[in-house]
Amino acid sequence: MPHPLSEMQIHQNRRQFFGRSSTGIGVVALASLLNRDLFSKETASDASRVGGLPGIPHFAPKAKRVIYLLQSGAPSQVDLLDFKPSLEKLHMTELPDTVRKGQRLTGMTAGQKQFPVVKSPWKFQQHGESGTWLSDLLPHMGKVADDICVINSMHTEAINHDPAITFFQSGHQQPGRPSIGAWLSYGLGSETENLPSFVVLLSKNSFNQAQPLYDRLWGSGFLSSKYQGVKFRSQGDPVLYLSDPAGGSDANRRMMLDRLSKLNQMREQEIGDPEITARIAQYEMAYRMQTSVPELADISNESASTLKLYGDDVKEPGTHAANCLLARRLAERGVRFIQVFHRGWDHHSNVQQHLPTLAKQTDQGSAALIADLKQRGMLDETLVIWGGEFGRTVYSQGNPKAFGRDHHPRCFSLWMAGGGIKPGLTYGRTDDYCYNITENPVHVHDFHATILHCLGINHERLTYRFQGRDYRLTDVHGTVVKDIVK
Amino acid sequence: MNVIRIIMIALTATFLTCVAAAEEKVEFNRDVLPILSNHCYACHGPDSATREAGLRLDQRESTTGKADSGKRAVTPGNVQVSELIRRITTEDENERMPPVKGPKPLNADQIATLKTWIMQGAEFQPHWAFIPPKQPAIPKTLNSAWPKNEIDHFVLARLERVGIKPAREANRETLIRRVAFDLTGLPPTLKEIDLFLSDQSPHAYEQMVDRYLASPAYGEHMARHWLDLARYADSNGYQYDTEREQWIWRDWVINAYNSNKPFNEFTIEQLAGDLLPAATDQQRLATGFNRNHGITIEGGIIDEEYRTEYVMDRLVTTGDVWLALTIGCARCHEHKFDPISQKEFYQLYAFFNQVPERGMQGFAPKQRIPSPLASDSQKVFDVELARLKAELQKPAEIDEQLNLWSKNISGQAVSGWTVVEPLTMKSSGGTTLTKLADNSLLASGANPQKDVYEIVSKTDATNLTAVRLEALTHESLPGSGPGRHSNSNFVLSEFELTAVSTADPSKQQTIKFIRAIADYSQANYEIDKAIDGNQTGNNGWAVDGPTRKLPATALFIASSPFGFEGGTELQFRLRHEAGFSTHGVGRPRLSITDDTPETLELHGIPADIRQIAGKERDQRTTNEQKQLQEYFLAHHNPQQALEQRVAELEKQKVAAIPETMIMQDMAQPRATYLLDRGQYNEPREQVSPDVPAIFPAMPKTAAKNRLGFANWLVDPGHPLTARVAVNRYWQRLFGLGLVKTSEDFGVQGELPSHPELLDWLALEFIRSGWDIKHMQRLIVNSATYRQTSHVGADAYRKDPENRLLARGPRMRLDAEQIRDATLAVGGSLVQQQGGKSVYPYQPKGLWLELNNRPNYSKAYPQGSGNDLYRRSLYTFWKRTVPSPMLKTLDAPEREFCTIRRSRTNTPLQALLLLNGPQFVEAARKLAERMLTEGGSTVDEQITYGFRLVTARNPSTAELAVFREAYDTDLKHYTNAQNAAQKLLQVGDSAFNKSLNQAELAACTSLARVFLNLDEAITKE
Repeated sequence: MPHPLSEMQIHQNRRQFFGRSSTGIGVVALASLLNRDLFSKETASDASRVGGLPGIPHFAPKAKRVIYLLQSGAPSQVDLLDFKPSLEKLHMTELPDTVRKGQRLTGMTAGQKQFPVVKSPWKFQQHGESGTWLSDLLPHMGKVADDICVINSMHTEAINHDPAITFFQSGHQQPGRPSIGAWLSYGLGSETENLPSFVVLLSKNSFNQAQPLYDRLWGSGFLSSKYQGVKFRSQGDPVLYLSDPAGGSDANRRMMLDRLSKLNQMREQEIGDPEITARIAQYEMAYRMQTSVPELADISNESASTLKLYGDDVKEPGTHAANCLLARRLAERGVRFIQVFHRGWDHHSNVQQHLPTLAKQTDQGSAALIADLKQRGMLDETLVIWGGEFGRTVYSQGNPKAFGRDHHPRCFSLWMAGGGIKPGLTYGRTDDYCYNITENPVHVHDFHATILHCLGINHERLTYRFQGRDYRLTDVHGTVVKDIVK
Repeated sequence: MNVIRIIMIALTATFLTCVAAAEEKVEFNRDVLPILSNHCYACHGPDSATREAGLRLDQRESTTGKADSGKRAVTPGNVQVSELIRRITTEDENERMPPVKGPKPLNADQIATLKTWIMQGAEFQPHWAFIPPKQPAIPKTLNSAWPKNEIDHFVLARLERVGIKPAREANRETLIRRVAFDLTGLPPTLKEIDLFLSDQSPHAYEQMVDRYLASPAYGEHMARHWLDLARYADSNGYQYDTEREQWIWRDWVINAYNSNKPFNEFTIEQLAGDLLPAATDQQRLATGFNRNHGITIEGGIIDEEYRTEYVMDRLVTTGDVWLALTIGCARCHEHKFDPISQKEFYQLYAFFNQVPERGMQGFAPKQRIPSPLASDSQKVFDVELARLKAELQKPAEIDEQLNLWSKNISGQAVSGWTVVEPLTMKSSGGTTLTKLADNSLLASGANPQKDVYEIVSKTDATNLTAVRLEALTHESLPGSGPGRHSNSNFVLSEFELTAVSTADPSKQQTIKFIRAIADYSQANYEIDKAIDGNQTGNNGWAVDGPTRKLPATALFIASSPFGFEGGTELQFRLRHEAGFSTHGVGRPRLSITDDTPETLELHGIPADIRQIAGKERDQRTTNEQKQLQEYFLAHHNPQQALEQRVAELEKQKVAAIPETMIMQDMAQPRATYLLDRGQYNEPREQVSPDVPAIFPAMPKTAAKNRLGFANWLVDPGHPLTARVAVNRYWQRLFGLGLVKTSEDFGVQGELPSHPELLDWLALEFIRSGWDIKHMQRLIVNSATYRQTSHVGADAYRKDPENRLLARGPRMRLDAEQIRDATLAVGGSLVQQQGGKSVYPYQPKGLWLELNNRPNYSKAYPQGSGNDLYRRSLYTFWKRTVPSPMLKTLDAPEREFCTIRRSRTNTPLQALLLLNGPQFVEAARKLAERMLTEGGSTVDEQITYGFRLVTARNPSTAELAVFREAYDTDLKHYTNAQNAAQKLLQVGDSAFNKSLNQAELAACTSLARVFLNLDEAITKE
């Protein structure tokens, strides 16, 4: 339900502007005026903003938007980002109980009798001036190592995919809370009137053991459903029902909308309900999306050098690389929160066979996104995140010869880059076994608090009253990781 | 924010209460409690764990007594010495309350209110919602003509206090459309409209209301609201979100509303029907309510963690639905605002903690109970079964059948099978295939995930009609069975044969098999799946290896005879590519025949029997006749077909009733513990079932189980149950409840806008015997409800949410209503009650793009025919990917209980209604009705269509716009026949070819305009 006051304000404004008759005014102009939340416009730092809460951002933001490359299934930190030379010696030794500390295991390895440590079969090298250690599985990321901040001390409570990814997306393991993107749409509003403020892109999935995704991961929970993420699809209409029905035409469409507007305005004159005016505006935005979305998806005007940066995959819609490019295009057009979901990292067996495939699918696109944003001067104001919902065990699940790695919530890695994050930094440390955190732990709530901080939001003050309680993305927890923010 | 708050408060004050002026009496609940609760209770409230300074401001004793500091927060009548006032007004940031890092600061008005309150004696009131409703006096009003029933007295008295007049009554078209949507979820038909418009009797309106209340669509519509509360879905939620069949419970709800089951019974049966003495199946079925929560099947989860979540969900949902209390807040700690302790939470939890269930795949307990709406379809089974069984009783005319059979088999020559010798054999997966003396091939060595055997033989025979595959057993195979898997099974995903001429290898023929027969097939793995062209998936022939371990034989009959003159090379391929690894055939042997297909089933009939059959009846000896008859009865008993049919029907009858998940209590109660921080693995003290102390106690004689709890809920003395229910009815009809926070009647919830009216309604509900229809009728018949919503911008500006009720309700229809109405006005709505959920139109790929894991996923199985046009409450509800048609229009995911839906206004909704195939097709159906039923002139046709959508005639100005649109589009489509045809072909249903296509297309365009009007999707 829209805020009654802003509705009222909109209404009054419209009246003042148009008097009793508005039929002569261009409907598009009308709509763009009406669509704006006048209250927030006064207080928002950015006058082009649509919607959002007054008083937010709480302080000058470093990042205007977020591109979050979510790696669903949980990538293996020990094979990708957390370099552990100590494992050379520990390879094929039993994980000591003093390290495991009776930690609960998933039902998949709880019955396992032995827990042999398996070192990463891949080499790590230092990259850039920062000397960031990265696995050879990520050659392209090596080129942007100085732009990213690797966090090796992430931890979470959940040990299974559903609760863990739900937690990452909404700050709570059980369904029902708003996702990060929904919180941002609610708090910060949008910078575009032609596109939704929260867009979700799904990579095509080639690994048939991949974990499923669910609409609630970009849902709005108890917030108004207008804040939920809009999925842009790589097959069919990019946005559901975007295309005119067969036999329709652009001229047709415009005429139909003009008639609808006229009729709805006539009705509004008679009834006086401002909802009718809002409806007219939404039909106009739909009309604009019918132009802006296909234009967005059309990469034919991208330069050859840009396409080359993202690699061959970029030409195939639905690949991670293609979605990374699309994410940049969405960012350019003012979309607030863009989340790319890539599935397939859940390697309970045959890590050696599967992990290189996944690394290859995501490495170049992710690195290209950073380089591309940087060359356009957008990296400073765009927060880019790459990571999964938890980590993987250093010990082998099943036969060490075809070793798998089980879920590991006690430590894992992800990287952040751009808007508000210190570049070239490797943060947090784990023990020799890559099993426990020894320095600077970062909980998921801290991670959320830090994202909000980069966007100029005090995570304790972005709240929504539901069932008598002021809810937050960070629940009653979370501390901004000051060490990694500028 | 503060500015807005002040304006809000000012507005609220003007419209709702007109208090805050110092001379008026401050009322604790209305004026003071919201301030204390929002700004103070986090540290000075019911939660002892976070209480500071030994001060709690939710109790007068503590508030006026000495805190830890020795000071008194409040000294009644004396603002000067009240520490509370000093602390909220001090300039010293270190001292000022609330603290800088705490809740929002107080504004000047709030401080003034607190001062006045203390001056007036600092009286406390118990929270209104915890005091049972008292029968209020019906208020006197100046205008005595307006009220139609008691409701109106309360509403009007309030309006008169603020000097506002109620709006005039809405016109009849508006009223019937409003009532029809509110009571049935559907628009009125033209016949219904005309009947009402022409009814001049004084009770025309009330009779119209009664007609809708009696409609079966009423129960569907009411049930649809209940399904949101009950978080009903057709899938299990959580990660894989596989299907469940809980729709029989949904049918129970529809039936309950249509039979107007009193709300107390409705409550008791859903919460505890299983515990009623001599519980009927239908009462047990009702308890499905509390099994509608999500259930996980994610590998590796910890069982107790999820079982705990299910119990939590049950309790929280029950608390939301019947008590409108945020009980869940006390899961981890004492409730911060309401007087519910953590221990009390777990005492309530204990009621719901007795189900013999698991966390992983926790679907049991279940029971097969027929749908109360499906009795007709069940009867069809019974009638047919009775007929077949009667036939089975008849003495079979065996003689005649036997003669026929004898003649049939005696006339046919049978040459039998020739085993072919494998010349080369290859395995794609590296299996070793060794030729044995009987020309079978024994598989050994590597046992790959997937495997294709290529076996080549030669024959000189021509006119070959069929191939036989024997899957023989061998002692070297697992369990000495026929398959290579450790459980002795195999899955043959496809059997293929290519014939190549030896004389001219360029002549090749892929043999098409038209039929396959096996002497044994596992259920769902029938032999025909080996020739269906589907090489992979989960599809193939299997033989119950784990339990059977016997050889099996399959015959594959070719579509036409094959075999080249001059010799044929036979290239057999046995594919094992279904999603079952290491499931190869262990010892295949191949044979060919040139017998006619009709005789193939004669193979195996012993020669002596065939010989006897060849004799005339009178030539056979008695013994021969007996031998023949015994063989015949054993193998070809004509009654067998009947028996099979009976068995098949019995199976179908059972399958028509899936098992519904229901509640049940364990024989030995499960101990319940307070869980520290709500964690399943942190049990503390043991607790026993009971209700929180703030409420009336359960009677001493009551069983401390769910039944006792349910009875307690519907006790007439309960302060919440009736209020919460009638408030939701009000919300359903007016958009907002009298208590706006219909999900929270606690201290943090909003106060009722019309407290006496709420109490009167609650008591009337109880007095009527919890008569749900009576309450709908009462509200709908009120003058309040009948007001027009066309009151001008001023009224909307002054009271945007219509809290004063000085106008009729006006709001966007719910998702289901919009879709159903669109189908109804196009005449394609299929009004069939109950049954399995259906799969209407949905863009391709939505299910698989999120989940493509084999065995846990599938493509959306879009329905056809009637299934595309059923009411939306029957749409298959998949929690992780809800129907985009419904979700776009704010239907919740049903992952949890939803008391109030959002009502948004988004561009995605515009796209859906403009372009969704369901809506474009419905527009065309509406256009067909306009052209065929609407009259002879274009204006008549336009008016007819517009009336179907809005229930009214268009104004002259509107008609002019429509006419211009139609004429323009007609011109366009006359010149663009191709585009016209494309538009008309949207949707599965065929368009009416007898109509002029350009006219129909132009009319369809116009119908799309109608259906996208704000008015079309709004209840006015």
